[in-house]
Amino acid sequence: MAIIEMRNLTYHYPLAETPALHGIDLEVQQGEFLAVVGANGSGKSSLCYALSGFVPHFFKGKLEGQLNIAGIDTHQSGLMDFVRRVGLVFQNPFNQISGSKFSVYEEIAFGLENLAVPPTEMRARIDAMLDLTGIRDLADRSPYALSGGQQQRLALASILVMQPQVLILDEPTSQLDPIGSREVFQVIKDLSRQGMTIVMAEHKIEWVAEFADRMLVLSQGEIIGNGKPSEILSLPQLPEHGVGISRYTTVARLAQKEGLWPSDQALPVTLTEAVAGFQEALG
Amino acid sequence: MSDRLSFYVERSSLLHRLNPLTKLTLAFTLIFLAFFGPGYWLPAGLYLFVLIPLSFLGGVGKDFVRTSLRLLLPLFLFLFVMQSLFYPGGKTVIFSLWIFSVKSEGMAFAFLTASRILVMVSSFLLLFLCTHPSALMNDLARRGAPAALSYIITSTLQILPQMQAKASAIQDAQSSRGLNTGGNLIQRTRSLLPLVGPLVFGSLVDIEERAIAIEARGFMLPEKKTSLIDIPDTRPEAIFRWGMLLLILLTTGYRLWPS
Repeated sequence: MAIIEMRNLTYHYPLAETPALHGIDLEVQQGEFLAVVGANGSGKSSLCYALSGFVPHFFKGKLEGQLNIAGIDTHQSGLMDFVRRVGLVFQNPFNQISGSKFSVYEEIAFGLENLAVPPTEMRARIDAMLDLTGIRDLADRSPYALSGGQQQRLALASILVMQPQVLILDEPTSQLDPIGSREVFQVIKDLSRQGMTIVMAEHKIEWVAEFADRMLVLSQGEIIGNGKPSEILSLPQLPEHGVGISRYTTVARLAQKEGLWPSDQALPVTLTEAVAGFQEALG
Repeated sequence: MSDRLSFYVERSSLLHRLNPLTKLTLAFTLIFLAFFGPGYWLPAGLYLFVLIPLSFLGGVGKDFVRTSLRLLLPLFLFLFVMQSLFYPGGKTVIFSLWIFSVKSEGMAFAFLTASRILVMVSSFLLLFLCTHPSALMNDLARRGAPAALSYIITSTLQILPQMQAKASAIQDAQSSRGLNTGGNLIQRTRSLLPLVGPLVFGSLVDIEERAIAIEARGFMLPEKKTSLIDIPDTRPEAIFRWGMLLLILLTTGYRLWPS
């Protein structure tokens, strides 16, 4: 049974004429890693907020259609029902710091204190999270004395420690360098293998192609593509919708024009596929 | 960016180990005594013979004396000059210079006011020097103070330096685009608008995001919150706090029915 089920979901922000999400139908299985791509303003963030209950419970506005997630129906639940089941990490790490804690360690504890977790269990869970997100050596620093990338790991740790069933990520690696991004993607991939359901809005197409199980393409609040990353990224109409394609796909497409890439073979998305394809094509 | 966002100095003294509420009660009692207690020399005595020894007991004596004097000396100077010259009803002239004459009543009043202010500021200074703000807030929340109240207080402590950093970043951005922030008063005032606008609107956006972030971490959950830090409290401390309260009541009684 699907852990996320959306049926014909349409959402208007307060006072907005055009819908931010329009007729979205979506099913996500437990343990699946779904990536959401699309240009700025395509509805990625609104989808993330809808999945985590902030649309409509925080932003208000008009939500039509069905959304069931982790056993709750958005029309019959409050924001706090979502908080117990769905974790949300969003883009700007600076604003995700609670502001009421003086060290990284205490900052991660903030959510657990609210969930009324006993202190001994709290410490065990925080310690595990510090190791998982690689910020163990920052535990005693002030959350504000960290770099953007470190704050982003902290934001992830602060939500993961609450052990959500579904994790919603809205561009969680925007401040990270390539090495840091890879580490974070790897952590998220491992979590999905362990059964956590992941929905991630992301610009970094190459990473998405490598790590996600499925990809959703949004344009102007509607779904225009939904399938395996390799299927989606070789769709020729992607650039029209403002979705960047990976540089490997670009290279292969140029090669195809020059007759260096067989026209019956699918275009590559990742480095490995590109290398394999070129080795085969060029002998 | 500074790591140090509060007055707190880490030590392992007896004063540091006391329950935050005990220290808060002590601070309030000392201030109450300084303002309403008997005796002209009491406030000065409290500072010299209670607060200073306590600060050395807490291992923060140097910080305490230096900071309290540095904060208050300019105010005291002003107070003494104004009161000794212009205190109404001053008759006993100590010495005169041209049309100004220094009167002893004014000097006495200035000294009393100064020593009261000294106790008021330095009691809180001592509290914050040896109490971690999150320990104080956690303890108050545990005793039933509203979580939103303690959130507002601790987050203000942290957000002020952030706002300053943001203001100077905006100022740099605007002056790099040719905004003249120097010059005379009118020019400076005019150049304030392009600084204040982005700061205020930017902060409003930040506040919405921060609200989402703390909601996402369950700030509004109905459960009774637990605390990561275990804050010890002992029976003798509780008795001491009741004693302080009694002292405040006795002082009030002395004020209301002096006999």
